[in-house]
Amino acid sequence: MSFDALQSLFVIGCSHHQTPLEVRERLALSKAEISELQDTIKTVPGIRECLVLGTCNRFEIYGIADAPSIAAHICEHLCQHRKIDAEIFSHYSYQVSNLEVLQHAFEVASGLDSQMIGETEILGQMKDAYAAAKAANCTGVILNRLFEKSFQAAKAARTQTNITKGQVSVGNVAVDLAGRIFGTLSRSRVLLLGSGEVGELTAQALKSRGVTDITVSSRTFAHAQGLAEKFDGETLPFEDFAAQLEQFDIIISSTAAPGSILSPNTIEATLKPRPERPFFLIDLAMPRDIDPAVERIENVYLYNLDDLSAIANQNLAQRKGEITKARKLLKAQAWLLWLQLRRRTLAK
Amino acid sequence: MFEGIALTDRGALAVGACIYLSAFLFGLISLQLRKHYSRTIVLGLIAGGFALQTVGLNLRGIHVGGCPLGNSFELTQFIGWSVVLLYLIIGPIFRLRLLGFFCAGLATLLSAVSLMIPSWDQAYPINPAGGNPWVELHAALAIFSYGFFAMVALVSIMFLIQQHGLKKKQTGSIYHYLPSIQQLDQMGYRLILAGVLCLTAALAFGAVFYAENKELVPVFKLTVTCLVWIGYSSVAILRQQRKLVTRRHALSAIALFAFALLSLWPIQSASSQQDAPTTAPRQE
Repeated sequence: MSFDALQSLFVIGCSHHQTPLEVRERLALSKAEISELQDTIKTVPGIRECLVLGTCNRFEIYGIADAPSIAAHICEHLCQHRKIDAEIFSHYSYQVSNLEVLQHAFEVASGLDSQMIGETEILGQMKDAYAAAKAANCTGVILNRLFEKSFQAAKAARTQTNITKGQVSVGNVAVDLAGRIFGTLSRSRVLLLGSGEVGELTAQALKSRGVTDITVSSRTFAHAQGLAEKFDGETLPFEDFAAQLEQFDIIISSTAAPGSILSPNTIEATLKPRPERPFFLIDLAMPRDIDPAVERIENVYLYNLDDLSAIANQNLAQRKGEITKARKLLKAQAWLLWLQLRRRTLAK
Repeated sequence: MFEGIALTDRGALAVGACIYLSAFLFGLISLQLRKHYSRTIVLGLIAGGFALQTVGLNLRGIHVGGCPLGNSFELTQFIGWSVVLLYLIIGPIFRLRLLGFFCAGLATLLSAVSLMIPSWDQAYPINPAGGNPWVELHAALAIFSYGFFAMVALVSIMFLIQQHGLKKKQTGSIYHYLPSIQQLDQMGYRLILAGVLCLTAALAFGAVFYAENKELVPVFKLTVTCLVWIGYSSVAILRQQRKLVTRRHALSAIALFAFALLSLWPIQSASSQQDAPTTAPRQE
């Protein structure tokens, strides 16, 4: 009797959809641990090909076995290896097989299955996992084809639908707005006021998009120094920041001050020597650090946490509208690949 | 070369206008449907329209024996042609997103309006041996400077749209594709300087002719042209001194271009009153 590899193609996994953080934490593996687990799975009798994918929101084992029942052995093996109760794992995990594996892999690669729909980081993580598994000879004809096609499908979904359009995190929305104001950000000077977490994330997002000059000013000097070191930036004494404002293009404010620390008069005085240069103010504090009246000043663009969240939610809603379109496209591609793989396995 | 396909100057200009319109509609549909806006397709279509417009103006130039700037139809067509020529030069260099879309819109408008008003294509005296080359150079440079000013107006409109979106906290595909306000502001300033230099050169060449033929230059034309030059020079100086920046600079550029464009027709009327028509340039 000839072996039909596709009848035992499987994925076992846990993701942010149905697995609580506590369980996902148990499955959070380092690269070395993933590699070790992958090698171990490959030695399980009946396993022909395998690949382990581990990200902060997802843990998945892709494989091809001689018989469908072998997937259950892999689950047992994994629970023993990670010391997880088999019942708990079974409750929070999912298992798909055959054609559904292709559809699932395509959706994961294109970011449709991600917590932040349409994000592209997962594609890089899948490529890394595939490269590592291929280098370790854990993948073969079927998984190689499946993953290579997944990357192509992800690209098609990105270009033919709008699932990646619009940023959905506050930091990235701020970066997009900065791009609309300044174009390239490499020459923009950023002042981070306070050491709030959202402010730090926003500064991080700006840095990742080319900002090289970040100065931190906080009432607690140690906090400012810590953050400045993180961003390879400078520190500025909090009592001096108002006098130095004109040197900066982007101000991110997230202090714990009880009232406004930037008034329209301060901003007007700041703009006087540089009226042609725009001023982007991001107020992430609660209560607000910047007087809303500042918004009326020419060439000043003020966005607070609510404004940024509203844009992020709007973008997310638009992305969700694109899911059906992308899913339809990926389903057709998965079906096409399924037929190709079936033809190939039957021809052998 | 064109006799075989019976291409008239107006025919070529009309086909050119249709191609500009298709570039504009392509951009509009892409933005409306949030589809990918292809700069290459818009650039290709505009280049096609420009080729046809060049053929049309060339045919007209051969017919009138000089640079075709003798009536309102020709002036409007030449301004549209200058705007597109500038876009084809600066568009790929500065890669200002959506500039092609706006440029196609303006070129369509100028071409369509001039083609739809037959009275603009009035007969005027033509010189088979060609006119005074200095006057021709003066006229071509002056109209080319209007091309710069039209481009400044387009960039200013783009600036105001982007600024409005940022102030009103709006997101949308048009804002995503528009260049940043800082880029648009700087581009507007550079273009206004280039336009002022071009118009200054045009006036200098015109002054040489005026010094010898004062009676041939209508005072109204001279006054309006000088007013346009003073207006744009003042805006450029005030911008350089940081006294007229961003929104007010953009609004001034749009208002001045509207004035410059609208003043062309009275200037043309004043000029044609001094000349008696001897032959019709229009080719049917």
